[in-house]
Amino acid sequence: MTKHQYSIALTATCVLLGVIIGVQYNTVKQQRLSTDNQRLSEVTLALNQAQQERDALQKQNEKLEKTLKEYEEGTYGGADMEELWAFAGLTSISGEGVIVTMNDSSTNLGGDRNAYLVHAEDLLAVVNELNGAGAEAVSINGQRMVGKSAITCAGSIVMVNGVRVAAPFEIKAVGDPAVLDSALHFPGGVVDNLSPWGIEISVSQQSVVTVPAYTQTALYKDMEEEE
Amino acid sequence: MLIPIIGLAIGVVVGIVSGMVFPAGYSAYVAMGILACLDSVIGGVYANLQGKFQGKIFSTGLFFNGIFAMALIWLGNQLSIDLSLAAVVVYGSRMFNNFSRIRIFLLNKEKKEIMIDSE
Repeated sequence: MTKHQYSIALTATCVLLGVIIGVQYNTVKQQRLSTDNQRLSEVTLALNQAQQERDALQKQNEKLEKTLKEYEEGTYGGADMEELWAFAGLTSISGEGVIVTMNDSSTNLGGDRNAYLVHAEDLLAVVNELNGAGAEAVSINGQRMVGKSAITCAGSIVMVNGVRVAAPFEIKAVGDPAVLDSALHFPGGVVDNLSPWGIEISVSQQSVVTVPAYTQTALYKDMEEEE
Repeated sequence: MLIPIIGLAIGVVVGIVSGMVFPAGYSAYVAMGILACLDSVIGGVYANLQGKFQGKIFSTGLFFNGIFAMALIWLGNQLSIDLSLAAVVVYGSRMFNNFSRIRIFLLNKEKKEIMIDSE
């Protein structure tokens, strides 16, 4: 009886097991196939997207190149592109002018030590006078002064255009040398104000002065165009 | 001994040929059912060799072990713990144990028969 029972039960279970295994085999096979298909369609979709993006970017690129060409060929208020570049300080300029060198005082007559150093305000005063006297281009230690330029105090050094510069300072200016020279030397002017502290300042007139271009990248992320 | 194996083979062929497929998402449960089934079969064979086979124990073991294993997987899914590992480990070790017992039993039986023959 036990033997008989055993055979039936075990055989029935084995057949059931076999059927389940077979169906599961089918299922797993199909799943693998479908995941492959899924992956393929995913990749195809990504490819299509990338291609569309590329086409759009190409179109944009063409448009921008066209605009750039128009800008280069066009005139703006009577000035052509190169004059605008020069005005913005994006080209290096050479011509007759002056070179002003400033250095910290080597004397110490007592009192505040800071008074014998060249400060950002002193540089600012010199640049201001030069611009006031009609300088066409000014630079401090190779940093071109443009509309956005700042001369600020940063502890023991001076920041110009966000770049650290230190004494001795060499200020180059393109313009009429005689006018620029006298603008600094008039009584009660910049040179007069600094001389009591022993700050070394000398102006030399040159037949050729080269002022470098503004090299920083201007980011206009907050600017909104107004038509 | 041969009839169950033949039954198994027939079952596999029928299952594959039928082309049926389990609904997606039940794979893990079915796999666990297969494991429980295999365990019961091997356990049944061993019990039979010892002459201790009982239909009730066999059938209840088959169903309740399978159901418990599936419940465990369901719980694991709810808790995002792979509890199927627990079932796989337990069933796997049980199957290996039973299988080696069957092997040893058969070897010993053979020895006894030889001994009987020599007597």
